[in-house]
Amino acid sequence: MIRNSFFKQTMSYLALAAMSLSALPGDAALAQEKPKVDPEISLYKKVSGISGNLNSIGSDTMNNLMTLWGEAFARYYPSVRLGVEGKGSSTAPPALIAGTSQFGPMSRKMKETEIDAFQKAFGYKPTSMRTSLDALAVYVNKDNPIQGVTLQQVDAVFSKNRAGGLEKDIVTWGELGLTGAWANKPISLYGRNSASGTYGYFKKHALFKGDYKDTVKEQPGSASVVQGVSEDRYAIGYSGIGYITSGVRAVPLSKKADAAFAAVDMESVMKGKYPLARFLYLYINKEPGKQLTPLVREFLKFVFSKEGQKIVVKDGYLPLPYKVVQEELAMLDGGTN
Amino acid sequence: MKKFWKSGDPFVWLTGGALAISLLMIAALMALILYNGLRQFWPYDLTELHLKDGNKVLGEIWDRERIPETDTDSKQAQYRIRVKIGNRDLYSLDFRWVDESEIERRFEPEHALVLERSEWGNFYGYFKKLTFDGTTIADSFAEGWPELQRRLDDMAALHNDIHSLEKGAIDEINSGLEKLRLQLRKLTMGSDTTDVALALEIAQQRAEMQSLRVRYDAREAELSSLYRQSERGVLTMTAIDGREKDIKVFDIVRAFRPNDIDFWGRSAVCAGKIWEFVSGEPRESNTEGGVFPALFGTVILVVMMSIAVVPLGVLAAIYLREYAKQGFWVQAIRIAVNNLAGVPSIVYGVFGLGFFIYAVGGTIDQFFFSEALPTPTFGTGGLLWASLTLALLTVPVVIVATEEGLAAVPREIREGSLALSATKFETLWRVVIPSALPGILTGLILAIARAAGEVAPLMLTGVVKLAPALPLDGTFPFLHLERKFMHLGFHIYDVGFQSPNVEAAIPMVYSTTLLLIIIVVLLNVFAIQIRNRLRKKLAFSVF
Repeated sequence: MIRNSFFKQTMSYLALAAMSLSALPGDAALAQEKPKVDPEISLYKKVSGISGNLNSIGSDTMNNLMTLWGEAFARYYPSVRLGVEGKGSSTAPPALIAGTSQFGPMSRKMKETEIDAFQKAFGYKPTSMRTSLDALAVYVNKDNPIQGVTLQQVDAVFSKNRAGGLEKDIVTWGELGLTGAWANKPISLYGRNSASGTYGYFKKHALFKGDYKDTVKEQPGSASVVQGVSEDRYAIGYSGIGYITSGVRAVPLSKKADAAFAAVDMESVMKGKYPLARFLYLYINKEPGKQLTPLVREFLKFVFSKEGQKIVVKDGYLPLPYKVVQEELAMLDGGTN
Repeated sequence: MKKFWKSGDPFVWLTGGALAISLLMIAALMALILYNGLRQFWPYDLTELHLKDGNKVLGEIWDRERIPETDTDSKQAQYRIRVKIGNRDLYSLDFRWVDESEIERRFEPEHALVLERSEWGNFYGYFKKLTFDGTTIADSFAEGWPELQRRLDDMAALHNDIHSLEKGAIDEINSGLEKLRLQLRKLTMGSDTTDVALALEIAQQRAEMQSLRVRYDAREAELSSLYRQSERGVLTMTAIDGREKDIKVFDIVRAFRPNDIDFWGRSAVCAGKIWEFVSGEPRESNTEGGVFPALFGTVILVVMMSIAVVPLGVLAAIYLREYAKQGFWVQAIRIAVNNLAGVPSIVYGVFGLGFFIYAVGGTIDQFFFSEALPTPTFGTGGLLWASLTLALLTVPVVIVATEEGLAAVPREIREGSLALSATKFETLWRVVIPSALPGILTGLILAIARAAGEVAPLMLTGVVKLAPALPLDGTFPFLHLERKFMHLGFHIYDVGFQSPNVEAAIPMVYSTTLLLIIIVVLLNVFAIQIRNRLRKKLAFSVF
C-alpha cells in the first residue's frame, strides 16, 4: 500500500512539476490527491447499549476533528452527544483533572507538571492516545517564489536568540535567497498565541526552544494565521497542514542546510523526512487495570477505525499507519500505559 | 467673515457633517456585510475553463485580481481569477487561482450540475448515471434529471423520518435511561446493602431500565433500517478532470443547474439556501449548513438575561431613588454603578467562572447532583450561568435608566397620590412605577443591545462550538438551564478564526454576522414597540 501510494504521489509530483514549468509562480497550489487511509485498518463495528454524553475540552487544532468525530459517532449511536470546547491544548489537563471532560485533545504531549498534577489528583498517570498525524507547515503567500527553507533559517526568522545556530538574524526575504523585488522586502511574521499547542510545538522544534521575536503577530486561531498570510504578500506563518487554502503555499523544509527539502505530504512525514510532523493526542483518564466505560471505549475504537481515520483525512490531517493503530487498540483493550 | 462665524452656520455644517460621516460609515459597513453575507446564497454561473496546458477547470468565479507587476514579464497588466472548484474529496482545496493568460477558452456549459452535499462540500460536474439498488435507472441527463428530483424528494422525506426518530423517540428513551441510571447510582451510593426495601427498589429500577433498553433496541433497529434505505440510490457524476465519483442521493442536500435556470429559478434556490441557513443544523464542523442552534441559543440567552436583569436592576434603582437617604453614600454607590458599566466584559466572564460556576455551581452539584459526580451538572458552564453573568454585566445600564425614569415622574403626581391618602408603597406601586415603565424599558433595550453582542464572557461561562442539544426541548423540565449552548457571536469567532478551510468558510462568517445584526435589531424593535405603547398610555411621562 505504501509503495502504491508512493508511486501515485511520485506521479502526481511529476505531473505537478511538468505543469509548473508552464505555469507562472503562484499557480503552484495545484490540486493534490488526498492521503489514503491504510486499508488494513478495520471498519468500525457497532455494539449495543451505548448512550450518554461526552465532553471534550482542549486543543483548538483538534477542535474540528473532535466535532467531526462526534457528528459521525452520533450516526451510530443517535443518543450519544459530544460537546466540544477547544481553546488550546493547555486547557485539556485541568478539565481532565476536574472531571469536566472525558477527552483531552492535545496537539502536544503533556508537560511533566501537567502529568504530576493529574497524578496528584488520581494516583495514576493520564493515558495518551495518538489519534492522527499533523504536519506543521510554514506558510507563505501564494505569490512567494521561495523554494524551501532550512529549519535553522526558520529559527532565524522567528526567534530572537537563534538557538538553531545561525549567526545572523533574518529580516528580509533577500536573506532567505529571494532576488529581484522580493530581496529587500521585510518578512512579516504571523504566529499563534501562547495557549496553543502549536505555539509550544513550534517553539520547541523549529525554534530549538528559543524565544519568539516580539514582532510575531499572535493570532487567536490557526485559520487566522493562514488568513493573515494570504492577505499579506510578504508574510510567513505556521499552522497545521489542515488549514491550507488557495491563498497560501506550504514551504518545503529541511532539517539541515545540506539535506534536501521535503514537501509536506504523507510520504515525507512517514519516512521522517519532514521535520515538523507531530502526533495529535487524545488524553483520557484511565485507571490502570480497569476497563474504560463502554461509551469512551467505543468512541476511541471509532477513532481508530477506518471511518474515524477517513475523517482525519477529511479534516486535512494525515491518518495513522496501521502499526500505530494496532498499538493504540491494544492499549485500549485493558493494557496498561 | 466675522458675521459668518457668528451666524452659527459653520457649527450647523460641522454637526451635520459629523452625523453624515457616522451614517456613511455605518452604511458602508452594512453594505459590506450585506453584500458578502448574501452573496454565498446566490447561485452563480458555473464556468468551464480550458487552459493552454490541456487542463480543464469547472467552477464558480469568485474574484479577479491583478497579478503584482514584479511577478510577470510583460509590462501589460495581467489578471488572475479565483475559481471555486469544489469537489473537496478529489482536489482537497475548494479554491484555485487561474491566470487569465493561461485560459484558452471559457464558457458556461448548460448541463453542469451543482450538488450541495452533506459532506465534503459542493460537487461541480456532469451527470453520468443514476443507479438504484445497483441497477441503472438512468444514464442520460434528459432522463436522469427529473428522476433525480424525484429521488431527492424521497430522500428529504427519509431525512425527516430519521430526524424525528432520533430527536423524538430515541432522545426520550435516552433521557429516561440516563435519569434511571442516576437514580440507581443514588440508591446504591454508600447505602446499606442488606436493606430489603432498598434492594427491591433497586431491582425495580433495573427492570424498568431493561424495558427501556428493549424499547431502545427496537427503535434503533428501525433507525438502521432507515439508514439502509438511504444507501440505495447512488448518483455517479463525472468531474471536469474525467474522474468519476459515486455520491449517495441521500447525501445530496440540493441539486441545481445554475446555467440553465432563469432569475426566478435562481431566486428560488437562493431562498431555499437562506431558509436552510436560518433553520438548519450546522454541518462539516460548522462551516456549512445552518446556524439554527446558535440562533436559538442567542435568543434564549438574551431572554433569560432579561428575565434576570430587570427585577434586579429595577428593585435596586427604586431603593436608590425612592427609599435611600440621598447623601454621600448613595452618591458613592451611584458612581460605583456607573463605573461598573465600564468594566471590561471579560472581567465579568472571569467572575462568572469563579463565582457562579465553581463556587455556586460546584456547591449545587455537591448537594443535589452528587450521584452524577465527578461529571458536573451545574459546576460547568451553562445557559444559567452565562445569562446571569450577562445580567450582571448589564445591570448598571438598567439601574441608571430606571433611576432616570423614576426621577422624571413629576412631583405633583406623587404628591397628588399621597394627598389622596395613599401610602408611599401604594404611590410607588400604583403611580410612580407605571409611569416610569418606559424608562425601565429603555434600560432593557440598552441591556439587550449590549448583551446580544457580547462574546468574551460567554466563552468562559458555557458557550461551545457544537452543543449536543438545544437548551429547550420536549423532555421534562423543558428548559435545561445547565446545558451548554451555541451563540451567533461565538460562531462568528469560531468559524472565522478556527475553521479549517477558512477560505470556504468566510462567506459563512458574513452571513452569520448579518443574522446577528438582524436579531439584535428585531429584539430592539420589539422592546421599542412595547415602550411606545406604554408611552401612549401614560402621556405625561417624559420618556
